Amino acid sequence: MAHVVSPLDQPSNYKDSQTRVDRQRQNDLLSKSTTLYVGNLSFYTTEEQIYELFTKCASPEDGGGIKRIIMGLDRNTRTPCGFCFVEYYTHTEALASMRYVSGTKLDERIIRCDLDLGYKEGRQFGRGKSGGQVRDEHRQDYDPGRGGWGAQAQRLEIERRREVEERYADAQDGPGAVAGGGGDWKESESSGNLKRGRSPEDEGDGRLGQRSRLDEDMDAERM
Amino acid sequence: MSYDRPHRGGGNRRRYRDDYDDRRREPYESPADKLKTSIIKFGDLDVEQELPTIEKHIRDSAPYNIPNLSEAFRIAVTEQPYKIPHYVTLLRRLHDIPPEETSSEGPSLGKQILEDFWKGFQAYLDKLAWRETRLCIHFFAHLTVAKLIAADSLFGLLQSFTAVLEEFGVSHGRAKKAAVCAGEGLMIGGPVLKPASAEHVQEIVNAIQAYNDTLTNPKTLVAPMVNLYSEETPPNELLDILLRALKTLDESDFTETASSFLQPYTSIEDPDPATFVPYNLPSVLVPPEVIELDGLATDSGEEAQVKKEEWPEYFIPLFDNDVTPDPQTPAGYAVYAGLTDIIDIYEVNRKECARLLLEFPKWTVPGTFKPKPGATNAPEPVPEKDWQLESTVIENLLGAYLVLPEASQKSIYYIGLITELCKLSPSTVGPAVGKSIRKLYSMLGEGLDVEVARRFAEWFAIHMSNFGFQWVWKEWIPELSLAVQHPKRAFMRRAIEFEIRLSYHDRILKTLPQEMQAPEGHTIGEQAPGPDFEYDDPAKPHHDAAQAVLNLFRGRAKAEDVIAHLETLKGTLDTSDDGEIVNVDGLIRSIAMQSLLHIGSRSFSHLLNAIERYLPLLRHIASGGVSSASGSGTPEAKADILTASAAFWKLNRHMVAIVFDKLMQYQIVDPTDVVAWTFVHRGEIRQFSEATGPLSLSAFEWDLLKGALDKANGRVMIARRKVVALRKEDDDNRARVKAKAEGNTVMEVDGEENVPEKTDEALAADSPALTTALKAFTSLTREQKAALSRTLDGFVSCLAPGASDANPNPHSRVVISEDGWSDRAGWEKDQWDAWETWGWYRQFCRSYAPYLRNYSTTLWTVSFAKFDGSTDPAAELLKKTWQVATGQE
Repeated sequence: MAHVVSPLDQPSNYKDSQTRVDRQRQNDLLSKSTTLYVGNLSFYTTEEQIYELFTKCASPEDGGGIKRIIMGLDRNTRTPCGFCFVEYYTHTEALASMRYVSGTKLDERIIRCDLDLGYKEGRQFGRGKSGGQVRDEHRQDYDPGRGGWGAQAQRLEIERRREVEERYADAQDGPGAVAGGGGDWKESESSGNLKRGRSPEDEGDGRLGQRSRLDEDMDAERM
Repeated sequence: MSYDRPHRGGGNRRRYRDDYDDRRREPYESPADKLKTSIIKFGDLDVEQELPTIEKHIRDSAPYNIPNLSEAFRIAVTEQPYKIPHYVTLLRRLHDIPPEETSSEGPSLGKQILEDFWKGFQAYLDKLAWRETRLCIHFFAHLTVAKLIAADSLFGLLQSFTAVLEEFGVSHGRAKKAAVCAGEGLMIGGPVLKPASAEHVQEIVNAIQAYNDTLTNPKTLVAPMVNLYSEETPPNELLDILLRALKTLDESDFTETASSFLQPYTSIEDPDPATFVPYNLPSVLVPPEVIELDGLATDSGEEAQVKKEEWPEYFIPLFDNDVTPDPQTPAGYAVYAGLTDIIDIYEVNRKECARLLLEFPKWTVPGTFKPKPGATNAPEPVPEKDWQLESTVIENLLGAYLVLPEASQKSIYYIGLITELCKLSPSTVGPAVGKSIRKLYSMLGEGLDVEVARRFAEWFAIHMSNFGFQWVWKEWIPELSLAVQHPKRAFMRRAIEFEIRLSYHDRILKTLPQEMQAPEGHTIGEQAPGPDFEYDDPAKPHHDAAQAVLNLFRGRAKAEDVIAHLETLKGTLDTSDDGEIVNVDGLIRSIAMQSLLHIGSRSFSHLLNAIERYLPLLRHIASGGVSSASGSGTPEAKADILTASAAFWKLNRHMVAIVFDKLMQYQIVDPTDVVAWTFVHRGEIRQFSEATGPLSLSAFEWDLLKGALDKANGRVMIARRKVVALRKEDDDNRARVKAKAEGNTVMEVDGEENVPEKTDEALAADSPALTTALKAFTSLTREQKAALSRTLDGFVSCLAPGASDANPNPHSRVVISEDGWSDRAGWEKDQWDAWETWGWYRQFCRSYAPYLRNYSTTLWTVSFAKFDGSTDPAAELLKKTWQVATGQE
């Protein structure tokens, strides 16, 4: 079908200038990716709202579903800073989100999805100087969903919304800080074995070895 | 297409120029590629102007690369069916031999392309690529009218498709597609086919009719307007529509074809019959369906293959025939089929699809649609046509979206497509959407199927979330006087609940009129749907005990310490002899579960973290606290876990579904536990308003059931794939070893000489990984069967309750009678509940039919044997529905 129009589920033309994963390998990873980067979220959008919309692309009867959602947080304040990762169990579901959800509204903002190389520890935090996303530091307009005027004014706005913002005050760094969401079905062991360790699938971590992408660069470039 | 517009992309892109993409850079385009692209783009701007240009472009490309040219035509025909008549004109012109070439021998350029095109058609047919096959038949039928193809050979082609309808045991999916191929070919080719042989035309129509006559039963199960007491089938099923249109055409000797389908080629003089030999389509056989047998059976020997059944397809008319075409008329059918193909083909890009849908009139007979306001040189409106484009598009789209038991694409595709249409032309599409909503709403309570109603609410909420939640709710205030479970009120509640899930309570509350905001309106909750920790209030019993458990969780105590604490707690509760505590185990489970959910209540991620950190605890609770119990837990303990979770999230049904899903994912509970809970224990949570009263199922409970059944089925699917992959790996290994043993010298250079040769026995055995995978597959099919069986059983006890069944709904037999249904104006909550439960039973049978079929004998015996000899109308309807769904009637 690609002769007449371009499918919407192609990876974007973004390339991470810092990655040490070569282009061929990136393409291979993207062609199997089950993870989406979701951008242009309101700071107040909850994981449950994201879950509701992205469930529409899930195929549970095919062994799919939403594995987990990782909310992007301001490095300093531990408050949502406008992006997240949605991880499915299957690649098809990620493609469906690209086709059907990317470019539609969530919480009254047009969100943007992109296939991602896979969540890697530490990537839940913003990488701007202020702790949030770089794009919000360069922003000149007033955006009530993203803390009003750029990075300076955000402080006040965040005070005002402390109740919502305290949600992630307990967010942790380090290995195992982010739950895996549950792996494939396994034959159950006897319940006497209480100390079942977490399997690699539970971890759900796409161990890439290094940071694979600067999310906010992408935002700055494309929004 | 739009990706690579050169002047797009703002200034700061340039900084990244170096990063830009080798992937996206256009590969070198050869002259052949360029020619192909121009052929595909032919007509995008102005067909008439472009025709001589493209013809010259093609002729100038000599010496001709015929395969390249025919490929361009194939792509054009199968991906842009709306342009087919114009490609016929182009091919017609390419059949003329220009004066300077008259001396040369051999067939014309056009004929060479057509002969090569046929090879592509044959390839589509061999793959059973039905859509491509059908669109090629359109092309051939037009070419026959243009006299380039012999009429007899088109008959032969169409008859190959009607032959499929007479195959023994033909699946409905296959027969339906074959019938449409033959029927549409006849509609287009009729003007030359009928003069050639009226008898052959009649044979084709009769064959489709005969097949259609066998479909009465399946039709009753998927009609959008439900009628539980009669076996009459409503109109507007796909094959009915096709036949009505065909018969109308036939009655007027296909004179209406010209006013239904474009025939631009008729303005060119027919080829000279004295010298021109039309192309004879070779005869074909529609190949049989390939059934991939992987030989995997369940442990009790049932075939575990899942083959999605296809059902009759209904169209739901939403507008009067002067606004949108009646698909039973020839011109209406042409519009319906044309739009359906665009929606289907352009699923990969909903934005382009929306644009093409709104450009559709330019590919139809002039006067079909009302001209755009302010359009110059608009054609004269044609009486009985002059339809509204936007209403027609939305009606078709919703028709495709609301097909039962499930649409061919995901719901969100159709929903997103409507959003794009509204964005492209808000002032014209918006009103069509509004009218469609009102029309569908008016059908609620008049028999609109429960699954159609559920999808309607889903679309409504997502659509509103894209357009500022602006709906004129106040026009539905009068319906607040209806019974609380009346489908119209259930729809309002559900739509609002879905809106809240996508937004938040206060935002949605603001959009509602006072009457709906008020608690007595029972339309929206009074408060935001937060958690409800039962032991939060110090005045409540067991507050202190729960606080202690909660503090352990907050302090990140180890799972085994929490377990030890719970054991101690059990001791104290056991000995506190106030005689109040009936079920200490249940209480402990409730305290532990609710406390764990409390620390996980901040967000979905917090929930996952809480579950993952305390998996050993959860497994301990699920096993009933008995460490020697088998790994899968005890049913009562797991029911208690589900009850505690549902109680904790009683104000937020979305979270109930999410928690249940993850409890299944982490294997704390099994799908069968969720099914059983939904039928039996769900009524214990009073806040689920639909749950009070006699046993019944509303859309919320159906979602829980569906979540459990899909989980069970999805696991079997994964296990099956794993087995197939590992088996292949084993086979490959065996082949390699065998090749080596036979002295394949090529293999030995790999340096594997030192690997000890496996004995034949070792080779014959499965690898350990495959053995494990096969064992998992067996366990999972057993679980799948149990979940399906439990669901069927649950429905049977809801709908045909026996004297001993707890809390029976006395109305389950009344609502399926003609008298009962005609009294529905007086129905109260219980009657509507019973009616809705029947609706979900139907949806269960038809949507899980591919799975149910595998187990139909056992399930029948388990659930229906007790009705042998019974004349209970409820039992009769239960059995009948089951038999139709599983293909036994």
